Amino acid sequence: MFLAPVLFVFIPIIASLVVYLFKHKLASYILFAAQIALFVLFALYIQALETNPELSLIVFGGWDEMFAISFYNDRLSLIFIGLTIFMWTILMMYTFKTNQRENKFLFFLMFLQGIFLGLIQTNDLFNLFVFLELMTVLITILISYKKTGPSFRAGIYYLLLNTVGAMFFLIGIIMIYYVYGTINIQYLIQNIDLHSDENLIKLAFVMMMSGISIKAAFFPLFTWLPKAHGVAQTSISALLSGLAVKGALYMFIRIYLEMFSKANYNMSEFFFYLGATTAIVGVTFALTQKDLKQVLAYHTVSQIGIMVMGVSSVSDLSYVGGLMHIMNHALFKSLLFLGAGLVIYGYQTKKIYEIRGVFKSMPWTSILLIIGMLSISGAPLFNGFVSKTLVKYDFKGDLLKMVLFTIINIGTVTSFIKFSQILYGPKVDVMKRKDALQILSMTILGIGCIAIGIFYIPFGEFVFGKDLSYVKIFDIRQWIDYITYVMAGMILYRYVIQRDFKPLRLIREWTITFENANYMFILYMVFISFFMFFR
Amino acid sequence: MNPILSFIVILIGVYGLATSKNIIKSVFCVTIIEAGTILLFLNFGVYEGGLIPILNAIGIEIVDPLPQALMITTIVIGSTITSLALMLCIKIFHHYGSIEWKVVLKGDK
Repeated sequence: MFLAPVLFVFIPIIASLVVYLFKHKLASYILFAAQIALFVLFALYIQALETNPELSLIVFGGWDEMFAISFYNDRLSLIFIGLTIFMWTILMMYTFKTNQRENKFLFFLMFLQGIFLGLIQTNDLFNLFVFLELMTVLITILISYKKTGPSFRAGIYYLLLNTVGAMFFLIGIIMIYYVYGTINIQYLIQNIDLHSDENLIKLAFVMMMSGISIKAAFFPLFTWLPKAHGVAQTSISALLSGLAVKGALYMFIRIYLEMFSKANYNMSEFFFYLGATTAIVGVTFALTQKDLKQVLAYHTVSQIGIMVMGVSSVSDLSYVGGLMHIMNHALFKSLLFLGAGLVIYGYQTKKIYEIRGVFKSMPWTSILLIIGMLSISGAPLFNGFVSKTLVKYDFKGDLLKMVLFTIINIGTVTSFIKFSQILYGPKVDVMKRKDALQILSMTILGIGCIAIGIFYIPFGEFVFGKDLSYVKIFDIRQWIDYITYVMAGMILYRYVIQRDFKPLRLIREWTITFENANYMFILYMVFISFFMFFR
Repeated sequence: MNPILSFIVILIGVYGLATSKNIIKSVFCVTIIEAGTILLFLNFGVYEGGLIPILNAIGIEIVDPLPQALMITTIVIGSTITSLALMLCIKIFHHYGSIEWKVVLKGDK
């Protein structure tokens, strides 16, 4: 049990190597064996942690704790580990039958899980950078796996932009090492205020935050995300939205909220408004899109904004709300992506206005899609509602912030009213895969959405150790709020979005060149620096 | 060596990223940023007259070994990224017949 954190990293990697080396069909079943082993190990590890808290830290090589490479697990990383293993199992089930012969694809997919689990557990800033870069390389390969022109284009855009971000993250690490002489995160958490050079630490903070912001797709830097999501395979899009972006959010929590918490930079307002801007811009772009996957991709941007709004807030309950939104978003966004993948396969097109009659031709898929849509728009009884209400807790008295949040909500509802147009219409003959595993994996996600939405109190107590009874699903005001949003959304859809005015077309056709994306990055860094130094 | 010099190298890379219109040039700008970063870190650990860090050399003035160990890893990662990016460049050239960002990003949309 002592070695469990290491096994989390190595079980997927060894399984992936087996799949890669033995090209036989039977070998690919080892992936499920590996997932089951991970689940069992995870459960045992949690139990062992309760009796013996010393297991949370594991130091490699017998060196002094301060210099050695080490893994550290607390509640935050355990939540992410559980989510990772669960999501990978689901995606493996979804993609297994179609990709069983593609042993290279399965190799990269499974290898990525090991890297991701390492990223989450590491207690060392440099290892964080190494895992981050490995993740970038693997995701690039997975994005371009289709071997079409657009996928290579998206791959190189993603690779270069994210590498620049990671390099600036590394420069931040170098400054931290120069000042403190250690890059152990736990040491830095305790000693971040013991330094001689205030300005250098501030500069390091700016560099690291800019690097993370690219990875996490904050407002001016999200341009790689829709490109990458639009062209990748369905399961990879779901993976990117559901987890890979959350890896950067995990780093955001670790580094901004934990490492620099003693330094007291008071950036929570800044990050709140950054999150709100991200959410509003994401929703605006999503409203104008005509492509099923692009709508969902831009919604990932907007939901990341909501997570940042929750996570960066001061109060405890809102922080839990942000964290819970990360989990919930992983569930419902992957559900929507996987469902959209089936629809796209069935109709052989991605255009929203050409797909009609999904409800009659694919009933079960469309029921699951409806569950996903209700969750993402925050309907009561679904999981999105719980976390959005918790995020709202911090600023329920603040008019401006409430207005911003309401705009985001109405935008989300409107774009999913647009999305739901594909359900109406007469029955059409569509192509269907005979694959029970795909439907099963989506059904598990759908059940998860509803179960968390109803049994959120025991769930919150078990996962976050917090009493979530502040959220009341049968409060009549919440229902009225939601119905108001839906009505406003319908009016907005009917009279603005459907007519496709010129500004909407301009927003839809807006693209950014790579040079300008880098300008944006420099401007963003300069902006944070001004905010940090001349406030 | 002055850390200012390595910052100048990094800034040259950033300038190149913000202006170059060719994918291969962008790839090499990323490499230049990385080279500057490596120089910066190595610079922090080394001082004049320090000896090679060997384990049993207690009592002798040695340079800090950690930056060197970490930078070797960074060099490996950097070469991985460069090779992957160049491979993608070849594929992009086959598909679009050009490696200008402008042509490629307009492409077929």
